[in-house]
Amino acid sequence: MPPKKSIGAEYLKGLWDENPVFRQLLGMCPTLAVTNAVINGIAMGLATAFVLILSSLVVSSIKKLIPNQVRIATYIVIIASFVTIADRFLAAFFPPISKALGPYVPLIVVNCIILGRQEAFSSRNSIGRSLIDALGMSTGFILALLVLSSIREILGSGTFLGYPLLGAWFKPWTIMILPAGAFITLGVLLGIAILIESKTKARSA
Amino acid sequence: MNLSARMIIVLTVVGLISGSFLSVVGLLTKERIAMNQQQEIQNAISEVLPATKTSHKVFEDESLTIYESRDEKDDPVGFAVYASGTGFQDIITLMYGINPSFSKIKALTILEQKETPGLGAKITDKTAFLRYWEGRNCEQPLSLRRPAVESPEDLAASEVNAITGATISSEKVLDIVNLSLERLKEIKQKGQLSSEEKNAT
Repeated sequence: MPPKKSIGAEYLKGLWDENPVFRQLLGMCPTLAVTNAVINGIAMGLATAFVLILSSLVVSSIKKLIPNQVRIATYIVIIASFVTIADRFLAAFFPPISKALGPYVPLIVVNCIILGRQEAFSSRNSIGRSLIDALGMSTGFILALLVLSSIREILGSGTFLGYPLLGAWFKPWTIMILPAGAFITLGVLLGIAILIESKTKARSA
Repeated sequence: MNLSARMIIVLTVVGLISGSFLSVVGLLTKERIAMNQQQEIQNAISEVLPATKTSHKVFEDESLTIYESRDEKDDPVGFAVYASGTGFQDIITLMYGINPSFSKIKALTILEQKETPGLGAKITDKTAFLRYWEGRNCEQPLSLRRPAVESPEDLAASEVNAITGATISSEKVLDIVNLSLERLKEIKQKGQLSSEEKNAT
């Protein structure tokens, strides 16, 4: 096992080095589907964070009790429970957001970021570390969705969080709020992420 | 303890705990979710029939729900029809208000749609689409005006404007309305609108 990281590094790795969207390419389905408006991106990020943090806490605290052969099934039951709670909560208190996110809230169950962190981290680390890891990954995911949805909403609708940002001269690029716009934006951002990574590597080498 | 027993016990216990948690959450949110849906219907009814003071359901089946609306003096304002059908991308759910004799559409509103943003999604736009539906004569099935005209006065009495670049979405909305109008008249003929039964007794 690699040497233990400091708590700060454990948190920060989710933001850049192991950013779930830009570095690990996990959770692509919600990343592409719901980032057509900033509010949807934030809501999706928060719902995923809620599920990830609580699942990590539960999994890391009962990891010794779970037989290896049924660990995935157990994780899924735990994750699905938190997802259902998040889904009901949104439907009850934020109906417009719940409507906008549609099937993507229940689909958090199969978001690879969550299952991936349970398998790779929470099942072999302490509760405290798992919590820090989940917080870092959630922050990284929320930031990624925020960047993606800001670009798409500003270019695709000319607004930010629903407020008009660009003047009447601006003709919205409708393609940016369509699925194709999601792929284009993500592709460009991934390219930039790899460029930055290779530059910093070249400098430190 | 042998392994199989442990696997069964762990999964069962986790499942039971999750299940009980979820039933509590379900109970706590159920009422509120139902209330939200009710609220949404109420808002839609007052949007398509602004004079509405009270309304109640007079017919319901899978694709059609009809509400009768009355104003402050308890006079009938008309009926609010809640209908859905396939759109270009996904199900479109809409509501329109119609006068008591089923001859005029008062207003239309779209409750749910996933049409193409910027094109088909304009069916929710008041100036681009919905205002052309106000006061349409619906004794005959409605038809679509293509190419679209600028002023609602240029339309024939039973015509509605299509959206340029989103003819299919416009057509789908028209189909949903026409189909529900047909069914509405059928239901009335059969005397299945429960308020009429009430009047008869």
